Amino acid sequence: MSLRLRTSLLTALLLLTQVQIADAHIVSARLGDFYAGALHPLLTLQDVVAWAALGLLAGSLGAASGRWLVAVFPLGLCLGLALAVAAGLAPTPPIVDAATILVIGLLLAAALRIPVALLCMLAFVLGVMRGVANAGELVPQTDRVLYAAGLASAGYVAITLIMALVLAFRRPETEPASSWRGIAVRAIGGWLAAIGLMMAGLSLAT
Amino acid sequence: MMRRHLLHSACGVVLLSVLTASPGFAHEQTGVGGGLAAGLLHPLTGLDHLVAMVAVGIWGAQLGGAAIWVLPIVFPLVMALGAVVGILKIGLPVPELVIALSALVLGLAVALRVRAPFVLAAAVVAVFAIFHGHAHGAELPSAANPLAYGCGFVVATGLLHAFGITIGALARWPGGERVIQGVGAAIAALGGYFLVTSLGVAA
Repeated sequence: MSLRLRTSLLTALLLLTQVQIADAHIVSARLGDFYAGALHPLLTLQDVVAWAALGLLAGSLGAASGRWLVAVFPLGLCLGLALAVAAGLAPTPPIVDAATILVIGLLLAAALRIPVALLCMLAFVLGVMRGVANAGELVPQTDRVLYAAGLASAGYVAITLIMALVLAFRRPETEPASSWRGIAVRAIGGWLAAIGLMMAGLSLAT
Repeated sequence: MMRRHLLHSACGVVLLSVLTASPGFAHEQTGVGGGLAAGLLHPLTGLDHLVAMVAVGIWGAQLGGAAIWVLPIVFPLVMALGAVVGILKIGLPVPELVIALSALVLGLAVALRVRAPFVLAAAVVAVFAIFHGHAHGAELPSAANPLAYGCGFVVATGLLHAFGITIGALARWPGGERVIQGVGAAIAALGGYFLVTSLGVAA
């Protein structure tokens, strides 16, 4: 065994024995406030469910309607964050979050062709709500601009990718909503509505 | 030869390290992971829930038409209504009995190829869905993460329906209908067993 190989193996073994518990909360990992803003919503289930629901709805309505959200949703996130920082806006109560998921899920399940303006308004309101919620992680040392840029980038990427996924899955768009692909997307809408309904029930119970 | 030995040893060390690595606790992942696992497993570990959900899928496929697509879209919502009743701690009469009965009735419907009118079939399934949802929902407030638990059990139930619909698709092949009816009979037999057990407990 060559010296280099032996050294490499020992190093590898040493590194492997030093395995630590993953500490993925990016603030403590000191990878920068941009990444903190980008990763925080992706590691919060409430954001993941709400963003996925919105992306699915926008994708199911087609590219012409959905592409507005690429700009509207990140803007909403930034405004929510700014309102929370500047005006001390508090996060919405759990029942409002649950009701939002319920409404989006129902719209998706019913395959309603809602107008673009209504879709944009929904996306903007959801963006503001989630922006405020994500401001809860800010500490005095956080660079707010970097954090907001990270949050907006995550919103942009997530919504665009989910919409693209749905559009690719539903292609061609002219296919009726009663096709198996349409039913699959609508079934996920039913699941989302069910989750929203249960969360609303839970917030009423507590 | 030596290199091969070294490679094997290195692979062994890597495998051992991976297998013994500590779990990553990333941003409340303990709660989310725990809640999600509990939600996913709740419909799968209760055999009475499992067979009834599969039977719903098979029956939907047998009925065809609107039933096959209304079922996966509407059923979770009706079940969630039952879950809300459970979350709010509103009691339902003899829940274990009705859940057992659901497996028996739905299994028989599949085994006997009952061609019920769509509205009647939907009403029967909806009543059972409320009871199944109630049983799942009662566990939700105490879950490690209620949202993750809700996601888990809704997804698991939806996948069980999909599994049932897939079994129902066997009817396209020769002899497939017999297999489906056999599965229905097995579900009905299990439902009968659960029903007798529930009555024994209740007595």
